[in-house]
Amino acid sequence: MGSIHATVRIAIRTLVIVGCLWSGSPLLFAKDGPGGDGIPPDKVADYIHAILEANRTIYTTSIVNRLQEKGILSATEHWEQDNTLPLPAQLLQHTGRLVAESGRGIRFRLIGLSPIYQRNAPATQFERQALETLRQRPEQPITGIVTSGKKRYFQAIYADRAVSPACVSCHNTHPLSPKQDFKLNDVMGALAITIPLE
Amino acid sequence: MNTTPSAAPRQTRWGLKAKLIVSMLLVGTVPLVIGLGMAFWQGSREIRDVSGESFKALAMEAARKLDLLVAEEIAQTARMANDPTIIRELEHRRDMSENHRVAGVETSDFEAKWEAGEPNAVRSIMENQLSALLREYYTGIRNAPGQLQPQIVRASTKMLFLTDVHGLLVAAIGEKPELRHDRTRWWQGAYHKAVGRLFIEDVRFDKRVNAYVFTISVPVMDQLRYEVVGVLHRVIDAKEFFSPATHAIRFGKTGHVMLIDSNGLVISCPILPTGVPLSDPNLVPLVTPLQPGWVQASSDGHGGRSTSVIGFAPLPETSRATNGSIENGSWHTFVWQASDEIFAPIQHLFTWVTVFGVAGLALLATLGYVAASRIVTPIRQLMLAARAIGRGELKTPIDIRSGDELEELAEEFNRMNQQLNAAFAGLTDQVELKTREVQALQQSTDHILDAVSTPIFLIDADEQVRYANRAACESFGMRRDQSLSISLFDVLPLDASARQRLRREFRAGGAVGAAERAAGLELPRDPLTPPSDQELIDHRPEFRIGSRLYQYQWFRLPARPGQEPVSGLVLRDTTDESRLHEQLVQAEKSGSLGVLTAGIGHELNNPLFGIIGLGEAIQEEQSLERAKAYARDIVAQGRRMATVIRDFAGVTGKEEHDQAVPVSLEEETDRALAIVQSTSDMKNVVVNKRYAGDVRVLAKPDQLQQALANLITNAVQAMKGTGTLTLTTAWSDRVGTVTITDSGPGIPKQHLSKIFDPFFTTRDQGEGSGLGLTVARRIIRKFGGELRIESGEGRGTTCIVTLPAHPAASGEGTWDPSTPQSESQSARLSS
Repeated sequence: MGSIHATVRIAIRTLVIVGCLWSGSPLLFAKDGPGGDGIPPDKVADYIHAILEANRTIYTTSIVNRLQEKGILSATEHWEQDNTLPLPAQLLQHTGRLVAESGRGIRFRLIGLSPIYQRNAPATQFERQALETLRQRPEQPITGIVTSGKKRYFQAIYADRAVSPACVSCHNTHPLSPKQDFKLNDVMGALAITIPLE
Repeated sequence: MNTTPSAAPRQTRWGLKAKLIVSMLLVGTVPLVIGLGMAFWQGSREIRDVSGESFKALAMEAARKLDLLVAEEIAQTARMANDPTIIRELEHRRDMSENHRVAGVETSDFEAKWEAGEPNAVRSIMENQLSALLREYYTGIRNAPGQLQPQIVRASTKMLFLTDVHGLLVAAIGEKPELRHDRTRWWQGAYHKAVGRLFIEDVRFDKRVNAYVFTISVPVMDQLRYEVVGVLHRVIDAKEFFSPATHAIRFGKTGHVMLIDSNGLVISCPILPTGVPLSDPNLVPLVTPLQPGWVQASSDGHGGRSTSVIGFAPLPETSRATNGSIENGSWHTFVWQASDEIFAPIQHLFTWVTVFGVAGLALLATLGYVAASRIVTPIRQLMLAARAIGRGELKTPIDIRSGDELEELAEEFNRMNQQLNAAFAGLTDQVELKTREVQALQQSTDHILDAVSTPIFLIDADEQVRYANRAACESFGMRRDQSLSISLFDVLPLDASARQRLRREFRAGGAVGAAERAAGLELPRDPLTPPSDQELIDHRPEFRIGSRLYQYQWFRLPARPGQEPVSGLVLRDTTDESRLHEQLVQAEKSGSLGVLTAGIGHELNNPLFGIIGLGEAIQEEQSLERAKAYARDIVAQGRRMATVIRDFAGVTGKEEHDQAVPVSLEEETDRALAIVQSTSDMKNVVVNKRYAGDVRVLAKPDQLQQALANLITNAVQAMKGTGTLTLTTAWSDRVGTVTITDSGPGIPKQHLSKIFDPFFTTRDQGEGSGLGLTVARRIIRKFGGELRIESGEGRGTTCIVTLPAHPAASGEGTWDPSTPQSESQSARLSS
């Protein structure tokens, strides 16, 4: 079990580091502005979103599902106490925190209109409207420039679906979950990627 | 049936009654003790397990409750941190300080005033708009409708203040805090590289509020929740905050719930003061895993060293935020009850079972005593009865009416007693009968012995006469009644040598006779040799008393049980018998002399008449030639007479001791045959010769001739002149043998033993001297040879003469039957 844990941790770290490397470089181009040779921030956000999505998919299908099927280890919410695997959603949140802690400025987090924990509720009007829009049209991300005080940020919000049965069952059974009728592949919320523009 | 002291009943150490009672007690005690031990052990284990599980459940429940309490407090604080006014103000401060990099100078100036406690400076923070806002939150004015804040929580919050993104104090209520916090652990923990996180500090002593406190620090995020713009910090008195929750949970006298952090520091406990560590540091790792559970530890954490059952559980949500993350520390509930109290039920049970067990044993002992008495009393009765039966004194039958096996046993005793009595009566009759039979037997033996005319003595080992029959008494002048105490040698007046011999034989116990018999068997006596007179005199069992001669014989009687063996001595008066025998011998000898005389006369008479006749013829004979022939005949006749006389001399034992020389057996046989042919009528005798060749033996030729001639004469005479005479020689094994076989009638069996006796003859008077065989044997024996006669009636007679062979003759004298040198010739010589 110990070795499996170690493997899982290493895998997670590798995914995060790869994600960071991929996400770090476009920022340099973003600073060059739209007129130059740089890459526009909506593209950068798209790259990051693709990487995050791929990482989580691999984690869900190749690690969590397989370990769970073989009865070796399952994914639970209180994985630290229970000595289990983090849920796929938690993977995204924890990597997001790790990326934030690295101090590069880029942030991403999962938000939803019916979150289990209030901290994952939309923080701004822009986020709330984006979620509403994505519920209707999940294909296209919502992008925009938002401000906090005098600081300006580019924000891209991608619809997030219930990619595995674990997502559905957790949200439908959690005592704090306000909505309990999710189905597989439903849009449960969104992934918000924030890139500072200064 | 004598009663010796050893047969008396021994003093038994453990009576049957005691044994019965002890065994009953053992039967009761052993299961009780084992059961008690098992029950105690098993009960203790189960109580421990049940208590452990209960404690674990209680610890989990308490942890959840405390967790909710903390979570509520965090939520309360977080609500303040989410206030848009506060966020806007803090964003503004962030942007402002970024624009004007002079904030540091302003701050240091203000800080000095703040430290000095200048009222304006203090008021500018403690009473500004944000502080008012915080107070509103704190007092619950901003709470949602219906959401009440517990008074106790409000009272326990000692400090509540807000810092900006640089850790500088922005607003505060309660006690006056420091101005700058960017270097404190909680601030850095909550700011967390601008990412922000909940930070709960472990219990520590705060001098400002003079209490053990823990703090909750909530980061204030900007509108986008992108980065931290400030930190809301809350200092809470741990004891005041937790005690209403933990102190309420009490069970039993000592059972309670306490809250500790991962270092074993007490946060809240009804017994221990807040802030002290657990008394046993070894206990801390046992009770602070991240999963709930229970453990049996060797101490209780409250200073006691007794084995304790402790339930524990982490506070799941709170632990996540303590010191920033779950790795840096966690909070745990700790449920404990004094083991004396936990195990009190089983100890009570143990005491009660012991008490009841002892009472039960006492009851068992009483019942055992009663039962044992009921069993033992009839057994005692039976024992006394058995003793009486043993002495033959049981007159009244045993009376036991217990209705069980003992009653049957008593009946068996009675029956046995009757049968024993009957058996003893029959036995006495039998003994009398047998005694009478023995007496009759003894009397008849006495009568038989008395009727016997030979004296018989029975002598014991001390040579005392035990018994003497009537004949013995009469012969030796004994009175019958004195015979019991008299020595044998007093009775028998023997001379010294005879007495010694008799005593020796008596001591040997008749073994002498046996030894003699054995010796006789070892060297079988030639039955044809007459017994040596000398031997007979030496060993003949006889002695002489006065003029009487007695033969005696020892015999041994089987010893009676318990008595010495007795030897018997039978005497036979042979005085008259031996006298008669002597007379007979004398008569025989005289008869033999007559025979001898007649024989000699006859033998000498014939030639003598021949000589006389020839002499007369010579006197009238004119022819010298014929006279000479007569004279030759006279000489021959004279020689014959000389021979007869020499024969006689040979019988009487006068022998010349000449040297034996090697002679040819065949030649001597032929010469002997010629002699016989010259004197006997052998016209009708067929002579078969089967000679082995030149068998040479050591002998004197004349004497050997004579011996062989005697044998051939006997054979011819036995055949009465008609028949077959077979002469055989052989050589074998250093012995030369000549065999003379006739076809005569043979020798009757009754004569066979006498044929070597001198003068024994079956012929008429004058026909033979009766010395022929005697002489022949004497001669042959002299040469170291042997003569044997084999005969049977109607089978003819064979004389076998064996003589020692001359060594030089060996090898060449073997008789080969395939080429017999025998020649059958009829007697051509007829005189």
